[in-house]
Amino acid sequence: MSTLIVISILAIVVLYLGLFKAKQALLPISVLGLVAALALAIMEWNSNAAPIFSGMMHFDNFAVAFSSICIITTILVFLLSKNYFEKISDNVAEYYTLILFALSGIIVMVSYHNLSMLFVGLEIMSVSLYILAGIKRKDFASNEAALKYFLMGAFSTGFLLFGIALIYGASKSFDLAVIAQYVIDRPTGIDPIFYVGLVLMIVGLCFKVGAAPFHFWTPDVYEGAPTLITAFMSTVVKIAGFAAFLRLFSICFAPLQDFWMPTLLVITILTLFVGNITALYQTNFKRMLAFSSISHAGYMLFAIVALGAASTNAIFIYAAAYAVSSITAFAVLMLVKAKTGSENFEDFNGLAKSNPFLAFALTVAMLSFAGIPLTAGFIGKFFVFNAALAQYHTWLVAIAVVNAIIGVFYYFKVIVAMYFKDNQTKQIATPAYFNFVLGVSLIITLVLGIYPSFITNLF
Amino acid sequence: MGLLSILIFVPLLFGLTILLLPKKYSQSYKYFTVAVAVIQLAITAYLYCQFQTGAAFTGVNQLDSYQFKEYLPWIRLDIGKFGALQIDYLLGVDGFSIPLLFLSALVMLIAALSSWEIKENHKGYFSLMMLLNTAIMGVFCALDIFLFYVFYELMLLPLYFLIGIWGGVRREYAAIKFFLYTLLGSVFMLLVIAGLYFSVIDPLTGNHTFNMVHMMNPQNYVPDGIFSFLAHQDILGIPARLLGFIVVFIAFAIKVPIVPFHTWLPDAHVEAPTPISIILAGVLLKVGGYGIIRIAYSIFPDVALNLSFYIGLLGVISILYGAMVALAQTDLKRLIAYSSVSHMGFVLLGLASLTSEGISGAMMQMISHGFLSVMLFFIVGVVYNRVHDRYIYNFRGLATHMPIYTGFVMIAFFASLGLPGFSAFIAEAFSLIGAFNSESVNGLIPRWMAILGSFGILLGAAYLLWTLQRMFFGQLRVKEENWLIKLKDLNVREILTLVPLAFFAILLGVIPSLVFNIINTSVNQFILLFT
Repeated sequence: MSTLIVISILAIVVLYLGLFKAKQALLPISVLGLVAALALAIMEWNSNAAPIFSGMMHFDNFAVAFSSICIITTILVFLLSKNYFEKISDNVAEYYTLILFALSGIIVMVSYHNLSMLFVGLEIMSVSLYILAGIKRKDFASNEAALKYFLMGAFSTGFLLFGIALIYGASKSFDLAVIAQYVIDRPTGIDPIFYVGLVLMIVGLCFKVGAAPFHFWTPDVYEGAPTLITAFMSTVVKIAGFAAFLRLFSICFAPLQDFWMPTLLVITILTLFVGNITALYQTNFKRMLAFSSISHAGYMLFAIVALGAASTNAIFIYAAAYAVSSITAFAVLMLVKAKTGSENFEDFNGLAKSNPFLAFALTVAMLSFAGIPLTAGFIGKFFVFNAALAQYHTWLVAIAVVNAIIGVFYYFKVIVAMYFKDNQTKQIATPAYFNFVLGVSLIITLVLGIYPSFITNLF
Repeated sequence: MGLLSILIFVPLLFGLTILLLPKKYSQSYKYFTVAVAVIQLAITAYLYCQFQTGAAFTGVNQLDSYQFKEYLPWIRLDIGKFGALQIDYLLGVDGFSIPLLFLSALVMLIAALSSWEIKENHKGYFSLMMLLNTAIMGVFCALDIFLFYVFYELMLLPLYFLIGIWGGVRREYAAIKFFLYTLLGSVFMLLVIAGLYFSVIDPLTGNHTFNMVHMMNPQNYVPDGIFSFLAHQDILGIPARLLGFIVVFIAFAIKVPIVPFHTWLPDAHVEAPTPISIILAGVLLKVGGYGIIRIAYSIFPDVALNLSFYIGLLGVISILYGAMVALAQTDLKRLIAYSSVSHMGFVLLGLASLTSEGISGAMMQMISHGFLSVMLFFIVGVVYNRVHDRYIYNFRGLATHMPIYTGFVMIAFFASLGLPGFSAFIAEAFSLIGAFNSESVNGLIPRWMAILGSFGILLGAAYLLWTLQRMFFGQLRVKEENWLIKLKDLNVREILTLVPLAFFAILLGVIPSLVFNIINTSVNQFILLFT
């Protein structure tokens, strides 16, 4: 639990550092603080904690694992932000502070044990993100992104809150354990408003994780927001959304699988197709990543549709693989954009000649996205599919496999551009921080791909 | 660490060395590649000589009788009610894999020797080739189906880049077509692998397992498993085992390639640089055949038995269609590519007969075609490197201008068209004998298939001899004057490359027992699966 406290205090400290113009200290202190928070989180591993704060939160292994992955990803994002925020805004400290506040909201989201905490965590995160998306005040696209995100986010929160209220109305509690007990005690005759609440919560959560048909905000917001914020949104925020989703459904609603499974099944299939087919037609790399993130949300939804013992593991591995690959993709995109000024596939032409390491790192990330063996993405997909096959969702898996192949097609576009096309670009200077982040992501991707036992045995 | 692991990982090690060496040594990379191939050839030759035959070394569905076995636990995962997920690093060889290992090592050596033509970006090229080498060796050694799949997919990537970067004019198209075709087959295969995993239990530990040898024994299946022999489960209204077999079969049929899944092959071959064509024809097509034997047939013997007629039919169609399309080609490399389709049809025909002769013939055909297709593609490469043209009608009367070259061409052509005394004759004869006998032995495929198959040999003679006539006989005439200077006869390196291939083609034609003795025990064990 100290993790949450450390991150919240860290955010305030960083804000004060900005007040006293200590710009140089912002990054080191934020990163050190997060490392400390990470260490504190890992120390609670297997401590079999009981719910704390009158049953508000429960820092169990699930929470530790997902907090860790979110904190690590945030550290990587911070390392990429050196010199980035200074270029687009004067208020650098606010960036760090807002991201840290969002992260504290995320920690609440992955460790809640009470629906009110889910709502509070979600709001802390969302409000920070609304500001972050629009932080380039004079940029039209950024403003549009912020407004769109805010309106859509407000809507979805409304759905979620309404759902929570209805579930409270039926079960007379916000506490997950009590709700779970309510469901178990009534094999038949659950109050109809409970079901309505459940559906509304699905809608709200699907908005947050960007699943179709509630995905319309994602491409515009992802494209309009500053690249680094997009990286943060499409990794940490998405993972947190799924963690919250999975936590709620595995603890409370597992016995009602027959009721919500068909709904979620349709959403999953729709998400896969919408994400993949639209991604196929993109010429802008960043927008392609936005749509591909929708399709990855579809793959992760798999594990929830086939809720079972293996689900947590499957989502965890998939999320880890997805996070490191996304970070790599966005990091390379930032460098390329700084050089050429745009984000289209042609801008990657000839990158293999001018910057072999960048091209190699991005290639591995794309292969991991596409789920080619010996990368983390393959192991992630394999576990997710396995979880689904264990419950005989053969159709669903067959559809997903078709989608995986469509995915190969657009992920390879950028590889083709880098290796097969020529362009007389000069070498792009890569700062040491970038090389570090890319190297770390590369190693994680390959190690998880070759010897996944490191994290497969966590749960 | 056993010999098989060394065989697999030596190229990877050298590949990394190449990556780390500074650019100024780039001229030495090719010698590294040759050195690796020589080491591998030595290892496989040693394994081949040490390989034991007899009742205790049958392989196929007897895990204990595999040789040079290696075992390491790889991935373990506790998955609740399904017990623990068990993926192992399990290697071993039997009569089906050992000749193919030797063939692969030899083909890799030839490919390395013909890589002299590569002019740019040596570092990338040779390190990718080493990665490909690792994957190929791994595929033939793996006994865990997950491990097999990983190596199988790992072959795709280096090939994609090798064709896409160092290929011809339409390389991008050819590379992505090749990649998507193969991937389409293999990802569905992955689903079947997962389904098999849920159906099969390791008799020793009680865990679900990916061990493919356990998957061949019906008693290891859980009674209600999706692919259980007894449960007769349906997927989407089709019997599960039938669907499983078809999916796996198509995955490998794309690789072989069998008509109608062959359209990637001419494109890939035509665009690929010579060494890659050599690897494609010499080894990659064999991976398809090996996969059909090792996985599709061995794990689903009941279905394979029922579908024999259709599989034989596909084989005959491949033989005839490939040969007829080859007859119509004017690009020498495309002609050779289609002849591969035709020759690999014999593998399928022999296999479908499920007789001892037929299966031995199919194995022999894979090995023989390995040597001969490599030789043919190398021969195409010789002309192409000199004048960058392969159009058959641009050349005439080369026999007087390049006598040594023409000599090797004649050996390769006559061997390929099945002249007695060469390996292809033995292979095709045995496949056809098997197919012909099948009607009286087990009644699986009718006689007319064997008869139609032998027409394939006739057509093969037609297109090869016609090509010989068009390009090498008659008055010396080439498209441009200066080609005559460029078209020098073979140099020492090229002769050294072609001699061992020709030698093996004749050796196996004269003493086929060198291969038959090695594979015989496993072939007989394999046939027992179907009784």
